[in-house]
Amino acid sequence: MMDSLSDSLKSALKKLAGKAVVDRAAVDELVKNLQRALLSADVNVKLVMELSKAIRTRSLDEELPKNTNVREHVLRIVYQELVRLVYATADLKLEPQVILMAGLQGSGKTTTTAKIARYFQKKGMKVGVICADTFRPGAYDQLATLCAKINVPCFGDPKATDARQIVSDGLLAVKDQEVIIVDTQGRHALEPDLIQEIIDLNVITKASHRWLVIDAALGQQASEQARRFHQAIGIDGVIITKMDGTAKGGGALSAVAETKSGIVFIGAGETIEDLERFDANGFISRLLGMGDLQALVERVQEAQVATEVDMEAMMKGHFTLRDMYKQLEALNKMGPLKQIMSMLPMGNMQLPEGVYDVTSTKMVRYRILMDSMTPKELDDPSLINSSRMQRIARGAGGTPEEVRELLKYYKMMHKTLKGLRGAGGGKFNMQRLMKRFSGMQ
Amino acid sequence: MFSGLRERLQAARDRLGASIGAAAAASAPATPAAPTPSGTSGEAPAAAGPAKNPSLADKVRILIIDRELVVSEKDIADALSELEMTLLESDVALPVTDALIADIRTGLVGKHRKIGESVDALVVGALKSALLNILGTGFDLTAYIKSHERPVKILFTGVNGTGKTTTVAKIGAYLKKQGFSVVIGAGDTYRAGAIEQIGVHAERLGIKVIEHQTGADPSAVLFDTVQYAAAHKTDVVLADTAGRFHTKANLMSQLEKIRRVMKPDLIVYVDEAVAGNDAVVRAAEFDRTVGADAIVLTKADMDSRGGAAISIAHTIGKPLLFLGTGQAYEDIMPFEPGAVVDELLGGAA
Repeated sequence: MMDSLSDSLKSALKKLAGKAVVDRAAVDELVKNLQRALLSADVNVKLVMELSKAIRTRSLDEELPKNTNVREHVLRIVYQELVRLVYATADLKLEPQVILMAGLQGSGKTTTTAKIARYFQKKGMKVGVICADTFRPGAYDQLATLCAKINVPCFGDPKATDARQIVSDGLLAVKDQEVIIVDTQGRHALEPDLIQEIIDLNVITKASHRWLVIDAALGQQASEQARRFHQAIGIDGVIITKMDGTAKGGGALSAVAETKSGIVFIGAGETIEDLERFDANGFISRLLGMGDLQALVERVQEAQVATEVDMEAMMKGHFTLRDMYKQLEALNKMGPLKQIMSMLPMGNMQLPEGVYDVTSTKMVRYRILMDSMTPKELDDPSLINSSRMQRIARGAGGTPEEVRELLKYYKMMHKTLKGLRGAGGGKFNMQRLMKRFSGMQ
Repeated sequence: MFSGLRERLQAARDRLGASIGAAAAASAPATPAAPTPSGTSGEAPAAAGPAKNPSLADKVRILIIDRELVVSEKDIADALSELEMTLLESDVALPVTDALIADIRTGLVGKHRKIGESVDALVVGALKSALLNILGTGFDLTAYIKSHERPVKILFTGVNGTGKTTTVAKIGAYLKKQGFSVVIGAGDTYRAGAIEQIGVHAERLGIKVIEHQTGADPSAVLFDTVQYAAAHKTDVVLADTAGRFHTKANLMSQLEKIRRVMKPDLIVYVDEAVAGNDAVVRAAEFDRTVGADAIVLTKADMDSRGGAAISIAHTIGKPLLFLGTGQAYEDIMPFEPGAVVDELLGGAA
């Protein structure tokens, strides 16, 4: 669904390309398509209407700057107006601070609390966590388990019933830590007792930040909820969670508009490392379904530092199992393949569905199988006959079927990469492509 | 519950009624000798549509002889676009809104209406039939359990954080009150604290839980639960599962395996009333991969609009079973489409 929307958006943009003057009908069509894209991304209806009005008037009234064509002109206005919607990124300082988490039930506060603890920990800060969720059974166990994994002290008491008391005690217990994160119970704006509770918690903790956690799938309700939370405790940052699904997170934009604060983090995955700093360019691209360039560039750089993957060899068409091994290792660090591919601006190029089905557990298996191969086999997979297959399987503690599956996957990747190379006109080079992306930003 | 949507729908209804009424007022004084009334530019259907389907002569004939009016597309265009905004603001997903509007348009345009017959009735009729069409007939769980072989196995699925575990506890409490014996399978072996969560709920409710350790195979847990129920002649098995995104192939095939192993009688898809457009995407994907027989919509107390109910029901065409309306065990209500639609439209007609 989203794909067809971004397609019609692209074709509407294309129609502007050849024009010498701004064409009212073409702008109207573009605005209409943009509205539909934003509405299906759950952006607040009123915001969408304001935005499209601004784009229409600016496109038609503003004089065409020299050396730009109509398409660039309109595209720039669209982009500027969208960036205005997301405001500035919320600032995040590496200094002692207390963070109070707030949000609806099931928005992912507890998981995010652990992820943020990990984030600060990785930056070299001492982190402590307080579990103030005295309502949901298992909440303390969940947070304590997650914190134990990263060796962060977690204060809480599953038997306690008074969140205020827990937080007062907790502040003493973790006072030696530099960053203190207070996880709270899920609540919504129509529960006066719980809203009073979080107001009190805000006073007790003297929180330096009050962050609102928003589920990417949250719809039009986001505005109302954010406004009430903002009234109660003064939200100064928004976190979008569950961005690894298909939701576009437009609801978070409503929250941003209501609280006049920026988006701090984006959560996209179930492991404790799956937290990204917010990036306006990337977010807007994803919102419109037009390729999230910046985020990809960052991820690729990060992964490359770690494994020095030879993207060049991989794309040169000389693609062996050895390359695939490196690639799997790198991909593991970059996130699921589909997520990465969705960020590439390849537009209409369709990859075979099977390419995405390789999950992280499978990737681990594949690497074990490849560890059981000889260097010769890694360089030239066509050597592998059934007796070699038996040996490889035995060595890896698997079955010949698994080896066969791996080879099938290899062939599919090989073919896909060949296709990619073709699309780039024979000179396709991943790193050059990356550079081009960053230049475009 | 749904009060926001109700207010909006009623406003839209008034608007629709008003524009049809205005059209009627404009065309009523027209005489057969002067079929094109002047002055009422664009408002009158007679002036607007000689090219449209019912010919002018037909319209005049219907108007004069049958004392009826024909509703034209133009009469209701403004009101329909307002209704469209209303639906979008109420979180009805974009494709569903499109379908609903088209439905109402075809239901109204070309309709003959007796002069003097209430405009209201016509509009309410169209809205009502469109909504009922989507929401279906509801689902009576008690009757279903009574008419099926025990144990009746119910599997709960959905994405992360929609409230599956809480819903399992609530439905457990509900069924227990109805006099059924219940066992819960702690099939969420992934999320930290999930087994403890369902354990505490069950202990409070006095319901038996079958659990393994965190990280165990959920299929095995739920198989054991079914075995337990069969051995103890328990009426209902409620199978909790870990939240998963429809985009994760391995987790979806795990769910597929659970389905193969425990052979549920009912697969209940749980989503939240506050979800926006994504509700449609993921409901369709869950329905496609593991199937869904009924829907539970949670967190309905957060939202007075309830558009997600319409979106999901329209997309997968499955009945709504319950609405979750709060944090307490009794905060769950069976969903009756007729009653809800009547309430939405102000109980009229």
